[in-house]
Amino acid sequence: MSPDARAALRPEIHSETKHLHPRTITMYKNKYLKHAALCSLLALCHTNSASTLFGQARDTQKEKELIALLKNDASPGAEKAMACKELALHGGPEAPPALAPLLADDKLASWARIALEAIPGPESSAALREASQKLSGRLLIGTINSIGVRRDADSVEVLGKRLDDADANVAGAAALALGRIGDAASEKLLRAKFASASGQLKSDVAEGCILVAERRLADGQAGPAAEIYDEVRLAQVAKPRIIEATRGAILSRSSDRIPMLIEQINSSDVAMQRLGLTVARELKDQQVTEALCGQIAKAKPELGALLLLTLADRGDRSALPTVLEVAKSGADPVRQAAAEVLLSLGDASCLPTLMSLAEQKNKDVSDAAMDTMAKLPGADVDKAILTRLDASTGASQRLLIELVGQRRIAATENLRKAADSSDESIRHAALAALGQTITLDELKLLVSRLSATNFPNDLPVVQQALRAAAIRMADREAVASQLSTAMNGQTSKVKADVLEILAEVGGANALQAMKSAFTGKDTALIDTSSRLLGNWANTEAAPVLLELAQLPPSVYTTRAMRGYIRLVRQFSMPDAERVEMCRNAMKAAKAAPEQLLVVEVMERYPSIAMMDAAIAATSLPAVKPELQRAVLMIAAKLPESDDVKTRLNKIGQKPVTVEIVKAEYGSADTKRDVSDVLRKQLRDLPVIPLPAASYNKSFGGDPAPNAKKQLTIQYRLNGKQGQLSFAEDAPILLK
Amino acid sequence: MTQRNSMNRRRFMKTSVAAGTAAAIAPVVIPSSALGRDGAVAPSERVVVGGIGIGNRGTYDLGCFLEQSDVQFVAVCDVKEARRRAVKAMADKNNGNSDCKTYVDFHELLDRKDIDAVLIATGPNWHATMAMYAARAGKDIYCEKPVTKNISQSLILADTMKRTGRIFQAGTQRRNLPHFAFACELARTGRLGKLRKVYAHPMGLKAWMSGWMDPQPEPAKEVVDWDMYLGPAAWRPFHPKQLDGFNFEKGGGLVGGGVLEWGSHCVDLCQWAVGDKHVPIEYYPLEDEKLRAIYPDGVELILREKEWIGLGSCPVRFEGDDGWIETGDSGKMVLSSPTLLAGRKVEEIPGYPATFHVRDFLNCVKTRSQPKTNAEAACFAHITCHAANIALYLNRKLKYDFAKHEFINDEVANRMRSEALREPWRL
Repeated sequence: MSPDARAALRPEIHSETKHLHPRTITMYKNKYLKHAALCSLLALCHTNSASTLFGQARDTQKEKELIALLKNDASPGAEKAMACKELALHGGPEAPPALAPLLADDKLASWARIALEAIPGPESSAALREASQKLSGRLLIGTINSIGVRRDADSVEVLGKRLDDADANVAGAAALALGRIGDAASEKLLRAKFASASGQLKSDVAEGCILVAERRLADGQAGPAAEIYDEVRLAQVAKPRIIEATRGAILSRSSDRIPMLIEQINSSDVAMQRLGLTVARELKDQQVTEALCGQIAKAKPELGALLLLTLADRGDRSALPTVLEVAKSGADPVRQAAAEVLLSLGDASCLPTLMSLAEQKNKDVSDAAMDTMAKLPGADVDKAILTRLDASTGASQRLLIELVGQRRIAATENLRKAADSSDESIRHAALAALGQTITLDELKLLVSRLSATNFPNDLPVVQQALRAAAIRMADREAVASQLSTAMNGQTSKVKADVLEILAEVGGANALQAMKSAFTGKDTALIDTSSRLLGNWANTEAAPVLLELAQLPPSVYTTRAMRGYIRLVRQFSMPDAERVEMCRNAMKAAKAAPEQLLVVEVMERYPSIAMMDAAIAATSLPAVKPELQRAVLMIAAKLPESDDVKTRLNKIGQKPVTVEIVKAEYGSADTKRDVSDVLRKQLRDLPVIPLPAASYNKSFGGDPAPNAKKQLTIQYRLNGKQGQLSFAEDAPILLK
Repeated sequence: MTQRNSMNRRRFMKTSVAAGTAAAIAPVVIPSSALGRDGAVAPSERVVVGGIGIGNRGTYDLGCFLEQSDVQFVAVCDVKEARRRAVKAMADKNNGNSDCKTYVDFHELLDRKDIDAVLIATGPNWHATMAMYAARAGKDIYCEKPVTKNISQSLILADTMKRTGRIFQAGTQRRNLPHFAFACELARTGRLGKLRKVYAHPMGLKAWMSGWMDPQPEPAKEVVDWDMYLGPAAWRPFHPKQLDGFNFEKGGGLVGGGVLEWGSHCVDLCQWAVGDKHVPIEYYPLEDEKLRAIYPDGVELILREKEWIGLGSCPVRFEGDDGWIETGDSGKMVLSSPTLLAGRKVEEIPGYPATFHVRDFLNCVKTRSQPKTNAEAACFAHITCHAANIALYLNRKLKYDFAKHEFINDEVANRMRSEALREPWRL
């Protein structure tokens, strides 16, 4: 495992502590002993890595040290707190007695309970139980809560007494702890108290009772559970308790659960109605489905829609006849919901109903029906759609054609005929559907329409369909070949549109088409192809771009050159390939702006080979200073090595000593001292690489948003004092 | 108007259903009349919302709520006076009145009978505990992530939401973005073939613990209520560095941080991709800068920070025998073959907006369907993150018994499943 990976195992507390090396631990431990969080980290590091710190069992040696720390009155509270946290992992039977005194400490009690809740065995329970008989107020509540978490049945009697505590919050906590324990004794105490309690305490006890009932129900004791739930739901307690108890009462019943469920669903109380809809989703039996179905026709439309959605969530297909019925006869909200629900519950037999809904004027209803038909699974649905398509006309035909496209049903012959219809809406629907369905062999059906259409309005639709077809087909070379051929004889506009499609398809044939357009005489196509090549989605365009960049200079060859450099800069590739591309770019770039772009790429990807490429290019006079800086910057980013030194010697760069006297970053009004950041970056070179991608990221954020900023450095270079200012994000080269 | 705002809600919801296809167990498109979203919203159709702990992230979430015409935001609770005032101003401006009430004690907000739902955007330290208090007060809950601090809290969260009949949505909004939903659908429905590996980007494989710092002068309680801020976290003296939910008690116990911070997003997506019904049963220590975990059916979950295509933050990748897909916060997807797209148009929404997730939550408040990141889904996703963190911290392989929710033959790991809450708080 790498050191970095091992470091990741240690808890990170603050940035200043995370880079500690184990060798420095003893020194830091002495120096910063008061910082308990740090001590915790140090303690972990002190035992080497986490792998040796923890076995699968706890560390008993560690436990002894931690207990000793707790028992030492001189230990700062912070250290005791962290010791508690570690005892949660390492503590055994000897730890609870050492932790127990802290339960009365308002600062450390919560830390102590972290350990006591976690350490198994009777010792922890005993410590908490004993404290629960002595403490008061919040500390007592915390202790009671922990007893509840541990479900300590031996504490039931103690908790029972606390039900009568004068502090209502303590009594409430005891009720909840008893609810969590949930044994027979707890139940008895809680139900007795529930009968006599009032106000907030009654609701707290109700919650304890509900927890007990839930445990009974989970244990298969539905009858006793229902009895408790009924007691609570029929009492004067807070509304949430009534909701919870009503839910439990329904779930724990067998015979009369349906009437109780329906009562909630039909309640004028929104909270109870929502509860009914929730519980209806939890119950799985078919009787519930029948009951819900029986309510839809009687319910107001909004509730009817909600009931349909509930049926969909239940996934019980026995509801289908009811859904189909209300889809025909219900109010608009009900029909819309029915259309949507048929996606879950429907099948091919529902198509007539769905088509009828799709043809209705209410757009929500028709859209919902179309949505469902588009997604309803099954080959039989496809078949049923085609059968209806054969016999359809007008609006129905258009809808069915749209469905053919959305479902990608093979129906080329039908669509081809429809694409010649005199009805424009049918024609356009068919063309769009062809785009979604045709195969590679059938691509010519759309290609041929680029030039041979009797309807000029169809051309954009054809192009869109062609694009949809082209980009979904797997054999992009074959697609590109057909499209390239189809460009012959077309207008410049159509050719440009096809080029756009080809750029999305990609591949060698598409690139060849781009190259042909670039080297042709049509200026519009040269412009289009150079733009598309400049934004190519992968590096396959590199050879073409490089070739075109070296044609006689023009605005388009510059565009090609920049497109090539963009590929080198943005895309991932092996280092050797990037270096080679940088070399090629530097040779091909004829103007300083492009050469500078290559220099930036070289700096961005430092390696020995890139250093060589930069050195080799220093013969170019226009960018020689930048290249020399790039060589230094690359060297500064690489680990020190003989390889680096050799190359620095080659450009006459000798080691220097650099000191940062003071460095500030910011605007005229707001500056931040960044001396330490830069000092950490220093090497024996007159350049300083940034630790992050920008000044703002390197120097702890933007010190002056929206203001012009600069970095000013006072330094000594080989003992000679100097001061320089750099515009935001400029490379830092000291002279 | 931003792209997020201009997007037709209903159309998005259709997209969302499309991305869920076979999963269309819970239709997202519901009658607008049933939702009260059709222009004038009747009072009976409004969802009355309160906010608890509305800082930076919460303010963004709140904006998503306020965009919805059927939301009436009436109250804010925060331990920081400055936040109370800022959120009230924001809400009042939106509501056109000065009625938004402010509270320091969340009990007062939860006691209000007119409030249906709460937005919880406190620091992670409070998330689960506050969600439990809200549920017991009968409120539906939209809760920022990470939701829980340990395995035990995750389980109790799911149980409590069920017991109280509450709608719970964890703030992992990527489940309601089309590209992530589509990627998960491909994996879940077998269209990638037999699923083999799911990858998540955890943003820092480091464990965090915020400790007990040197005491600093504590502000007046009216300005910052430190005791309430600490809430369920063990006591420590005031320190301004810890007065930032993002940096404080992220995971609890001795672990947390990176895996949980972003894992609650990207591991959550992996959970959705594998079906949301289970968690990995084997967790491995860090190796080659990767954390691995294995699901019962052999699918590998791999947490790694490198080797991503570069599709924005929070990327996920799913690999099966017949193909793979990778996507991220750019909204873009890369697929092993265009045929996987099968002609589908998956809307490209960059920048991980939460609007749709909030809308999903509000829909479910009204219909009582389960939202995308419901309590059980959030529970399993968080358990996976916590278990991975424990394996990372202990630097050893762990086996997890899903039925018992305990590590097999590893006492120390089991002790890390839960942690006591400071008095008087409870789950």
